[in-house]
Amino acid sequence: MKCRCFMMFVAVLGMTIGSATAQVVVRKPLQKKSVAVNGISGNQTLTEVLRNDVRLSGYLGLATGTSAEFVQEGNVRPDGMIECRVTHAFSKKVILAKAYPTSSDLRRLGHSISDDIVLAITGQRGIAQTKIAFVLKKGGASELCVMDYDGFNVRQITNDRRISAHPEWSPDGAKIAYTGYLNGYPDVVEINLQSRQRRLVAGFRGLNSGATYSPDGTRFALTLSKDGNPELYVLNVDGSGLRRLTNTKGAESSPSWTADGQQITYVSDDRGNPQLYSISRDGGEAVRLTIPPGAPSYNTEPAWSRPPASSDMASMLALTSRVAGKFVVGIFDHSRREVRPLTLDGQDSEDPSWSPNGRLLVFSKTQNWRSRLYLLDVITGEQLDLPAVDGNATEPAWGP
Amino acid sequence: MQSRILTQVLAVTLVAATLTLGSGCSIFQKKNKNAPGSGAGGSLPPTTGGIDLGSGDSTSGGRFALGSGTEQRGLFAPVYFDYDSAQIKNQLERAKVVAVADALKGNSKKLLIEGHCDERGTAEYNRALGERRAQNTRAELVRLGIDGNRISTISFGKDKPVDLGHGDTAWSRNRRCEFVLIN
Repeated sequence: MKCRCFMMFVAVLGMTIGSATAQVVVRKPLQKKSVAVNGISGNQTLTEVLRNDVRLSGYLGLATGTSAEFVQEGNVRPDGMIECRVTHAFSKKVILAKAYPTSSDLRRLGHSISDDIVLAITGQRGIAQTKIAFVLKKGGASELCVMDYDGFNVRQITNDRRISAHPEWSPDGAKIAYTGYLNGYPDVVEINLQSRQRRLVAGFRGLNSGATYSPDGTRFALTLSKDGNPELYVLNVDGSGLRRLTNTKGAESSPSWTADGQQITYVSDDRGNPQLYSISRDGGEAVRLTIPPGAPSYNTEPAWSRPPASSDMASMLALTSRVAGKFVVGIFDHSRREVRPLTLDGQDSEDPSWSPNGRLLVFSKTQNWRSRLYLLDVITGEQLDLPAVDGNATEPAWGP
Repeated sequence: MQSRILTQVLAVTLVAATLTLGSGCSIFQKKNKNAPGSGAGGSLPPTTGGIDLGSGDSTSGGRFALGSGTEQRGLFAPVYFDYDSAQIKNQLERAKVVAVADALKGNSKKLLIEGHCDERGTAEYNRALGERRAQNTRAELVRLGIDGNRISTISFGKDKPVDLGHGDTAWSRNRRCEFVLIN
C-alpha cells in the first residue's frame, strides 16, 4: 500500500529528484484550464454561483476574452429551462450542451451545473455540491455547523452551549461523529443528520476523542485513555470489537485511515515532540513517518486523501507542522521523508481536511487571533478565501 | 470511457443530492440562509439540563456525574506545566499536589482533575496532552496514597483558557491542571 501510494505520488506530481527543495512540477493534466464564464444571461444568482464555483474548483481558472481555453455561455429559455453550453475556444467544439429545469434553490442548481462544467472539461468529479462541517467557537461555547463547500448556507447542528470538537463524516454522508462534552466529559458522539438522533459511541473513563470512520464505514479509529494515558483504538461502529492498537508512555491522537483502509496514520509524542506514525488497523509494529531534521520537529493532524478511482490525483498525506514557530499545513512526501509546506504566509494554519476528489484542502487559518476557513489547491498552492462567519471557525471536515 | 465516468459522476451526484443537508431537514435552523457573513449568527440559547444520549450501556463506569451542585472549585492552586510537557516540573508544583493529597486523606471525597493547554498547537494533540497532564497528576496522587478510583480526569485541550491573553504570561497560566473537589 505504502509503496503504491509512493509510486502514484511520484507519477502524478512528477517530483523533481535531486533539487534542494521538494519542488512540485505540475504535469499538464493537473494544470488549471482557463474558462471564460459568461454565466446564465438574465440570472444574476446563477451567474455568480458559476463564477465562484469555477474560482474554487481547483481544476479550472477564471479567464476573460481571448485568453480562455474554454467559453461557457448560458441563457434562460422561454419555457423557463436553463441552458448551459461550454465550447472549446480554438476548435469551437461544443463539449457541454445541457438544459436544466429551474429550481427554487438556485444555488444548488448552479452547483450542479458547475460540476457538469468541471466534468466536461477535465473528466474529473467536481466539488460544488459538497458540504463542509466545522466547529464555530463563540462566547466560550463551540457548536457544530455544516455549510455548503463555498461557505454559504451555514447551519448550526448542535445547540448545547458545551464544547463540541473534531467533526468527521461517515463515508455515506449521513452521519457525523464528533467529540462532545454533553455530560461534562469528552465523549465520542454520533449524530444522524436526517433524524437528528444522537448516539454515544464511546464514553469511557477519561478521554474519548478524535474518532474517524474507516473508508468502508464499518469502524472507528479513536483515542481513549480508559487504560491510562491516551492510546489508539479501533471500534466497530455498532460498539463491538474494541481493540487497542498502541501501548506507549506518550499520547496517541488524530488517527486518519489510509485510502484502502489497511493502515492508520496518527500522532504520538512518545519520544518528545509530536510525530506521525502508521500502524496496521490490526495493530502490530508502528512505523515512524516524520523524522527530523528531514521533517520539521513538530508534526500533527495527518489526513489521507481518498480520491475516487477515476481521479487523476493520487492519495496524499496532509499534515500540520510547526515551521519557524508557525503552524503550517503541508503534504508529507514519502519518497523524501520531507514535508512540503503549503501555507508559508506567516500566519498559523491548521486542521487540513481533503475534498472528496483529493485536489483541495479546507483548513483553518488564525490571523490576529481570529480563525477563518480557507480552501487550498494542493497542486498550485493557491489559497481561496471563504466568506467569514461571526465567531472563530475551526476544525473543518469536508463531507463526501 | 467518457460515458462510464459520466455515469459514475451522475450516480455520485444523485447520491449527493439525496443526502444533501439542505432544505427539508429539520435538524438545521433555517435562519441566515444565503447569507455568508452572518453565518450561524445570533446568540446560542443555553441548553437546559444534561443531555440524555440514551446510551444504555455501561461504558461510563468510573466517572462521577457532574453538575450536581456539590463541586467545589478554587480550593487548590493549579499545577502549571512547561510547553509541550505533561511532567510535573519541580518541587513547587509537586507541593501543590501534596496539598491536594492531604485534603483527601481521612475522608471519602472525590476529585476531578481538569487538564488544560495553551492556545498554541493543534486541537486533538492538545486534547491528548491535557489528558496526559491530568493523568500524570492523578498518578502522583496515587503515589501519595490516594485511591485512584476517587479521581476522575477531564481534558479540555486548548478550549478553556483561564487567561484570554496571547503571550508567554497568558500561555504559562493556561498550561495547567485544575482541581475540583466533589463532596
